[in-house]
Amino acid sequence: MTPQSDSPLLLMEEISKVYRVGQEEVYALRSVSLAIGRNEYVAIMGPSGSGKSTMMNLIGCLDTPSSGRYLLAGRAVQELDEDELAAIRNREIGFVFQTFNLLPRSTAAGNVELPLIYRGLPAAERKRRVAGAIARVGLSDRATHRPNQLSGGQRQRVAIARALVTEPSLILADEPTGNLDTATGEEILRAFAEIHRGGNTVVLVTHEEDVARHAQRIIRLRDGRVESDSAV
Amino acid sequence: MKFLEAVRLALSSLWSNRLRSFLTVIGNVVAVLSVVVVVSVIQGLDRFVAKEIKTTGADVFCFTKIGFVMDYEEFMRQLKRPDLRLDQAEQIAPLLRQSEVVVPRLDRELSVRYASRSARSVRIAGVGAGYDRVADLPLAAGRHLGELEIEGREAVAVVGDGIREKLFLNEDPLGRSIRLGRQRYRVIGVIEKRGGTMDESRDDQIFVPISALRRQAGGRGSIDIYVKAAAGASLEEAQEEASLQLKIARGLDPWDEPDFALVTDEQAYQLYESASRGIYGLLVGVVSLSLLIGGIVIMNIMLVAVTERTREIGIRKAIGARRQDIVAQFLVEAVVLAFFGGLLGVGLGVVGALLVAKLTPLPASVQLWSVLVGLLLASSVGLFFGIYPAHRASRLAPIEALRAEG
Repeated sequence: MTPQSDSPLLLMEEISKVYRVGQEEVYALRSVSLAIGRNEYVAIMGPSGSGKSTMMNLIGCLDTPSSGRYLLAGRAVQELDEDELAAIRNREIGFVFQTFNLLPRSTAAGNVELPLIYRGLPAAERKRRVAGAIARVGLSDRATHRPNQLSGGQRQRVAIARALVTEPSLILADEPTGNLDTATGEEILRAFAEIHRGGNTVVLVTHEEDVARHAQRIIRLRDGRVESDSAV
Repeated sequence: MKFLEAVRLALSSLWSNRLRSFLTVIGNVVAVLSVVVVVSVIQGLDRFVAKEIKTTGADVFCFTKIGFVMDYEEFMRQLKRPDLRLDQAEQIAPLLRQSEVVVPRLDRELSVRYASRSARSVRIAGVGAGYDRVADLPLAAGRHLGELEIEGREAVAVVGDGIREKLFLNEDPLGRSIRLGRQRYRVIGVIEKRGGTMDESRDDQIFVPISALRRQAGGRGSIDIYVKAAAGASLEEAQEEASLQLKIARGLDPWDEPDFALVTDEQAYQLYESASRGIYGLLVGVVSLSLLIGGIVIMNIMLVAVTERTREIGIRKAIGARRQDIVAQFLVEAVVLAFFGGLLGVGLGVVGALLVAKLTPLPASVQLWSVLVGLLLASSVGLFFGIYPAHRASRLAPIEALRAEG
């Protein structure tokens, strides 16, 4: 569980993902290998159909590869069962989605608290951590608001707080600015930059060049393969 | 802690769909309502009947023309039997060595008047001497009918407390003259209040000499013959002896089937008990059916909820909910839903029982155990029928679920 500091946080070796469509086998990813180290800020880019979403699902342990090896924080993900995957998502990954994916009936604080409930932390500890995470995204005065009482940018910041609150190894963002106007999008990207400066590893999946340029490194996918992998 | 959280979530999601939640749990409402009301009514009935039926001593039995019959044909057959007559009672009385008292009784319904007040359809019991020994009839005032008064066809009456209350209000009835039908009777005794609440309770009866009633209202109609077994005699032997003598008095041979019925309070009570067991059986049927229907409706609505909240399930899974967490969430929701249906049923049931107690003579009162059983049943239905939807929810693949609308 505690890898040496020089080993990558995330290591993919010969990862393929095959879907069956009728009689045909469709490769979403073909033998992709890549490594992402701790405290990197990486953007994964590609047009639709490039395997970008599949990549994001695999990195996020929402799905398992058809073949190949995936190590996340030292654990072989392809060997885990459903509940172990849930546990690894809970501990190692903080998701930020394009559509925010907040629970509409819970308050901002309630949404942020949810992953801690699933981790089984005691209430006092949860409260402390939720307050910290919400303060970090600058929403302390909105903690008791429900998502529909918040602006898009505020909602996304609640989602970021939810991702940060578990202190995960990896913040995984899927088009986090896709539903926001440019100014708000910039604001969210500044928040990611700050998180990265704070020592977190950030992986950002996007199809927008402007957004990807905020990262240190860009991995481009095309037709299920890595087309290029370079520093910005 | 996690459980309370789940209950809170469940409550808020049920509250946001109030009408739907209410409609969903109607089956449970009906089931618990039935349990609470029927149990309270039967308990009331039990207490009432035990008091009302068991009026004679355990050593008393009664010959009557028509026994407890449960089917129409048998009833029609017994109806054609020859009447039991006063002279038959008089004939067997001196012959019985196992019994100490034989009391004939003839019932009539007459209207009763005193001064300007009257009561219609009062049960008038024409009785023979010893009637106060075959039934428990303690006096509140005055005295019982005397043997000479009975033999002498005297127009004297002992009234129940209900009659006293209705006709005399606060007046002292002793020595007053009341009219039974067209005949005047002098009140010589009042029977203690017993507090029975049904129409034909002892409190609303008037006892007069059978001879006087026959003279006034004619001798027609079958009488009942009450017999009290002698002290120390076996009840069974006393019944056998009396049956035999009555057969002979009625011109039958000893080996013939009797053309009369022998009934005891115990039998009457057993009859009631079997009837109330029948009602309980019916209750079990009604409750099972409403719970089954209620459960299916709950399952259906929970499946709808799972579909509606696929996205939510996806979000929860993405941030680390395990299958058991999702199962627990939806199970708790189903149980909370079902439980609230049960609570609603209890509320309506209590109201129902109060109404029964107020509007009918039955002393219906809510039994705590029926409330608990009702709530337990309702919750179990939620638990059982929630399993399948909860299981379905837990098996959704996170990426598919996240892609869902909503």
